[in-house]
Amino acid sequence: MPAAISAEEDLAVVERVLAGDVQAFEGIVRRWQGPLVNMAWRYCRDRGRAEEMAQEAFIRAWRGLAGWRRESIFSTWLFALAANVFRSELQRFPAVNVPLEEAAEPAGPATQHEGLARKQSDDAVRRAVLALPKRYREPVVLYYFHEMDLAAAARTMELPEGTVKARLARGRELLRKRFPHLSGEGALLPAPVLQPEKEVLQ
Amino acid sequence: MKSNLNPMTNHEAIDPILADEEELIPSSGFLAATMERVREEAACPEPIPFPWLRALPGIVVVVAVLGWCGFELVRAGMASSREILPTQSHGTAAMLSALQPAGWVAAALAASLFSWLLSRSLAGRSGLL
Repeated sequence: MPAAISAEEDLAVVERVLAGDVQAFEGIVRRWQGPLVNMAWRYCRDRGRAEEMAQEAFIRAWRGLAGWRRESIFSTWLFALAANVFRSELQRFPAVNVPLEEAAEPAGPATQHEGLARKQSDDAVRRAVLALPKRYREPVVLYYFHEMDLAAAARTMELPEGTVKARLARGRELLRKRFPHLSGEGALLPAPVLQPEKEVLQ
Repeated sequence: MKSNLNPMTNHEAIDPILADEEELIPSSGFLAATMERVREEAACPEPIPFPWLRALPGIVVVVAVLGWCGFELVRAGMASSREILPTQSHGTAAMLSALQPAGWVAAALAASLFSWLLSRSLAGRSGLL
């Protein structure tokens, strides 16, 4: 969890790197590889590409480490830098070209395999996030990546909270229109009895 | 989860779906590959910055020459238009002779631009830029 990681420890590692200890950068990569790969995954939903993008973000961080002005904690700077890298990478090669209205329809509830149907339905919703218009996609991606912390998402996007909040609301509204079962009353009907299980992909 | 910051007022089914995402674990070679690239970056010599301080006199001279040429061009153009107006009958010949200095100015401009581009490209090839 990014929040649990000591900012002072990051600062100490950065100082060592800036003093010429290249190997010390491994500490930064080791500590932040998980969050950055997962963040990239949410941007593209392609494991291989997510790792490439995360690696590129680390290289940019390495190059720009001296430019970190310590006005914010290291992780804020790193996430903002990574978001810029992911944004420009996806501008060059978009992750998905399917318009939102053509995003996969979730399957109807299956009585025998409710868990599987539920998982497929959830995956369809997650993939549909990538089909959102660009200005709404990133707030949705970052808001949930930062565990629904609007301020953190705004800092990563380097935008005012109000702007991110408005875009997030619009993005979610578009998703609800596409998947009516996600809206308040409808959510009760398909009976999402179980929370999706957290899985770890090896 | 910080639900107090949730921009939507009611609890929604979308939140658990998008928040409880499967967690990827970076592949075993990710750290090594990234550090390999970092070491490559560190081994590369830093790019030589453009010597703005040394180039400043040259830039000033070029700007001054270009400005002077532009001024001369405009002056020659205005002089030629004044000469042409009263002698409409001599038309083309008068205009051509009046524009001759402007032609020289344009040629000088082109020559200086060419020499500048040539010197830049030679310097670039030798790795100075």
